[in-house]
Amino acid sequence: MLDTLLSGQLLFSVAVLGALYALIGLGLNLVFGTMRLLNIAHGDFLMLGAYSGFWWFTLTGISPLIALPLTALGGAAIGLTLYALVFRQQLAKGLDPAVIEARSLLLFFGISVVIQNLTAMAFTATPRAYRHLDTVYQLGETAMTGNRIATLIVALTILGAMLVFLNRTLFGMEIKALIQHREAARIVGININRVQMVSIAVGFGTVAISGSLLSMTEQVTPFMGFRFTIAAFVVIIMGGLGNILGGIVAGFLLAIIEIYAVTIFSAEARSILIYGAFVAILIISPQGLLGRARR
Amino acid sequence: MTQMQAKQILVPVALTALGAAALYGGALNTGPYWQVVALTLAMWIALIQSWSVFSGLTGYISLGHAVAYGLGAYLMATQFREYPVWVLVPAGGLLAGAFALIVAIPVLRIRGPYFVILTFGLSELVKFALLRLETALGASSRLLFGAPGTVELLTWMIALAAAATLLRHFVGISRFGRGLIAIREDETAAETLGVPVTRYKVLAFALSAVIPGMVGAVMALRSTYFEVLQVFSPTLSFTIVTMAIIGGSGDARGPVLGALFLVSLSEGLRGASPQLYLVLLGICLIAFVLFAPNGLTGLLSGRRK
Repeated sequence: MLDTLLSGQLLFSVAVLGALYALIGLGLNLVFGTMRLLNIAHGDFLMLGAYSGFWWFTLTGISPLIALPLTALGGAAIGLTLYALVFRQQLAKGLDPAVIEARSLLLFFGISVVIQNLTAMAFTATPRAYRHLDTVYQLGETAMTGNRIATLIVALTILGAMLVFLNRTLFGMEIKALIQHREAARIVGININRVQMVSIAVGFGTVAISGSLLSMTEQVTPFMGFRFTIAAFVVIIMGGLGNILGGIVAGFLLAIIEIYAVTIFSAEARSILIYGAFVAILIISPQGLLGRARR
Repeated sequence: MTQMQAKQILVPVALTALGAAALYGGALNTGPYWQVVALTLAMWIALIQSWSVFSGLTGYISLGHAVAYGLGAYLMATQFREYPVWVLVPAGGLLAGAFALIVAIPVLRIRGPYFVILTFGLSELVKFALLRLETALGASSRLLFGAPGTVELLTWMIALAAAATLLRHFVGISRFGRGLIAIREDETAAETLGVPVTRYKVLAFALSAVIPGMVGAVMALRSTYFEVLQVFSPTLSFTIVTMAIIGGSGDARGPVLGALFLVSLSEGLRGASPQLYLVLLGICLIAFVLFAPNGLTGLLSGRRK
C-alpha cells in the first residue's frame, strides 16, 4: 500500500495537478488581492482558454502550446474589457471593501452565467477533446504522457516567472504593495489604476493559459469551469487571501489531497472531497490556514 | 385598532388574499396553459419571498436555497407511495427547516461574501453526497406514479405563495424583523444594542427554508420525476437571487415584482433556447446590480418621490 502511495506515478500526478491549481489560484489571488473582486467566474475564463486551445488545434493544427501567448492575450483582453466597462467605475467610487466584494460577487455571478450559456449556444454543450502529444514516456516505473510533462513545465515556468516578477521587479513590488495596503500604496505614489489593469490582465491571462493546458488532457465543455472556480477558492483561502506564495503552496496541498483521495476511495469521491474541503476550510478558518497577507 | 395597525395588518392580508384569489380564479377559468403559468408564478413568489425572509432582511445572500427545495422533493419522491400528499408536503418543509437549523450554527459564523460562496459550496456538497447515496441505492432517477393533477398542485402552490408573502411581510414589520435589518446594517452594533444576533440569524435561516422545502415537495409531484442533479440545481438558487435583486427586497412587493418579471421573460422566450433565457437573466442581474441596486421597487418608489 505504502509503495503505491509513494509511487512516482502518483507523485507525478500530484505535481501536474498541483502546478495547475497553483497557477489557477494565482490569477484569482491577484485579482482579489489588488481589487477585492471576488471573481466567481474565474473557472469560466479557464473554460474559454480551454476552448481556445481546442479550436487552435482542431481548426489550424497549431499546437495549443504554440498558441499560448495568443490565448493569454485573449484572456487579458477580456479581463481589461470587463475592467474598463464595469469594475473601474465601481472601484473608483471609494466604496467600502465589503460592498465591493459583495457587488463584484453578484456581477461575476451574472458574468459567469452569461459566458457559460453564450459558449453553449456558440459551441453546443457537447464535450470536446483532441489528442495531442499523447506519447507515453517511461521513466523507471513512471509513465508520463508528453502533454502532462508539457503542462508541468509550462505551469512551473510561469509560476517561477511570476514569483520573480512580483518579488524582484519594481512593478511587481507595486502590485504587492497594493495587495498589502491600498491607501499606503496610493500615498507613496503608486499608479493604482495601472497596477489594477496589469493585475487583471495577468490574472485573466494566466487562467486562460491554465485552461489551454488542461484542454490537452481533459474534456472541454461550457460548464467545466465551476469545479476549478471552487478549487481556486480553496487554494487562495487555504493559502491566505492575497498571499501569493501561500497560494502556490496551497495549490500543491490541494492536489495531494485530491489525488490521494481519488486513489484511496474512488473517482466519484472527487467532487464530494473538493466541496467538502472548501466548506470545511471556510468554516474552520476563513482567514486562511497559511496566514493572511498583511494589509 | 389604530390606523397604523390597519395599514400594516389588514391591507397586506387583504391584498394577498385578493391576489391569490385572482390568480386561482383566473387560472381555473382559462385552461391548462395558464394553469401551468400560474403554478410557475406562484412557485417563484413562494421561493423568492422565503429567500427574502432571511437574505433580504439580514443581507446574508444565500445561494443554497436549492438544497431546501431539493430535500422537500427528495422526501416526496422517496415516500410518495407510503404517505398521503398532505402529510408529505409539510414534512418536506420540516425536513428542510431542520436541515437549515443544523447547518446554520457553523455556517452563520461566516460573514459577507464568504458566506455567499460557502452556501454555494455547501449546496454542491449536499448534491454530490446525495448523488452518491442514490447511486449506492441503485436509484439514479425515481418516477412518481399517480401524482395529483395540476389544479390540486396549483391550490397548494398558491397557498404556499400567499403564506410566504404574509410571512415575509409580518416578519419584516415585527421586532424580530427589525432585529434582522439591524444585523444587515451593522452586525456588531446590533449585538452591542442587545439584538440576540445568533439566535435571530439561525431562526430566520431555518424559517426561510421551510416553505422552499414544501415547494420542492409539490414540484416533485408536478414533474413526476426525480433526479438529484436536476433538482439540486444551482440554476434554481441563482434564479432566486437574481429575481430578488431585480424585484428589490425592501418589502414583500419586491419578490412579487421579481417573479412577475421572470415569468413574463420566460413566457416571452417560449420556444427560444434555455441558454438564451439564462444569458438574458445574467445580463439583467448585471444591469440591476450596476444601475438599480434597489430593484424594481426601488425604481418605483424613486419615481414617486
